[in-house]
Amino acid sequence: MGMIGVLVTTHGNLGTELIKAAELIKGPMKGIVHISVDQNKGVEDLKKEIGTAIKKVDQGKGVLILTDLFGGTPSNISLSFLKEGKVEVVTGVNLPMLLKLPDVREGMTLKEFAQFVKDYGIRNISLATEILNKKAAG
Amino acid sequence: MNVVLVRVDNRLIHGQILEAWVPFLQAEGIVVADDGVASDFFRETVIRMAVPREIEVIVCSVADLSKNFPGAQSEGPRSIVLFGDAGAALRAHQGGFRFERLNLGNIYSEECVVSCTPSVQLDRKELDDVLSLLRAGVAIDLRRVPTDNPPDLQSILRKVGAGEEKRL
Repeated sequence: MGMIGVLVTTHGNLGTELIKAAELIKGPMKGIVHISVDQNKGVEDLKKEIGTAIKKVDQGKGVLILTDLFGGTPSNISLSFLKEGKVEVVTGVNLPMLLKLPDVREGMTLKEFAQFVKDYGIRNISLATEILNKKAAG
Repeated sequence: MNVVLVRVDNRLIHGQILEAWVPFLQAEGIVVADDGVASDFFRETVIRMAVPREIEVIVCSVADLSKNFPGAQSEGPRSIVLFGDAGAALRAHQGGFRFERLNLGNIYSEECVVSCTPSVQLDRKELDDVLSLLRAGVAIDLRRVPTDNPPDLQSILRKVGAGEEKRL
């Protein structure tokens, strides 16, 4: 059974480094590719590159694209590939999201997976003193 | 509107605009003057979604920009005007939308004839459009983000023998 493909596309090498960091913690990750967007690449070339990458990681279960910044070029181009059931885009990629991917990639539809990853990423942003105060109060 | 930046950027609204130029210029509005976006509801929606609520976004064709904002614009909300390529900026200028300074942010060309900066690569047509704008008295500013040190376009053009003097 195939799994949902994941494409990380970011400004500069942020995505590569995020994947590297995730692999450092969790071990090698499968079915995940990165495309960096820098000032030397044209929009049309990037579109082609992202289109090719989507095909490459798609095993028939669809592809989740993780981008860094909503409104940024990696995200803008990714949005042009949006297709219900085939391609979903989640912005604001962070390390907790990447670490969670291998645990939940199977047994979810693309839409459920995308929703889960988004919620998980948000849930894992914390203000430390807030947690401390809650613990102290509670 | 009070135009605080006129810029050519293949990427139109993206990270550099939202995270660097808008706060730097304290812009209140962004005008995307692009025929492609103006006739593509999906692209327009994506652009509108990407911009924080407090920033007003206007999407229009190049011709409509010139028609609706004739002359130099200096009153009203502080606004950034974006074109997708130098040709669009030139058409707007010729159509009556006046600006004294044009920022070149990201221009990518497959067949680059003048490499101004890593992010501004002009092909023959873009170069001709830029030269036309220079002849019309528009100053060209080569910066991706506000803190860049802009190189001097004239000396770059002279180096490649594409200076104005040769073409006038």
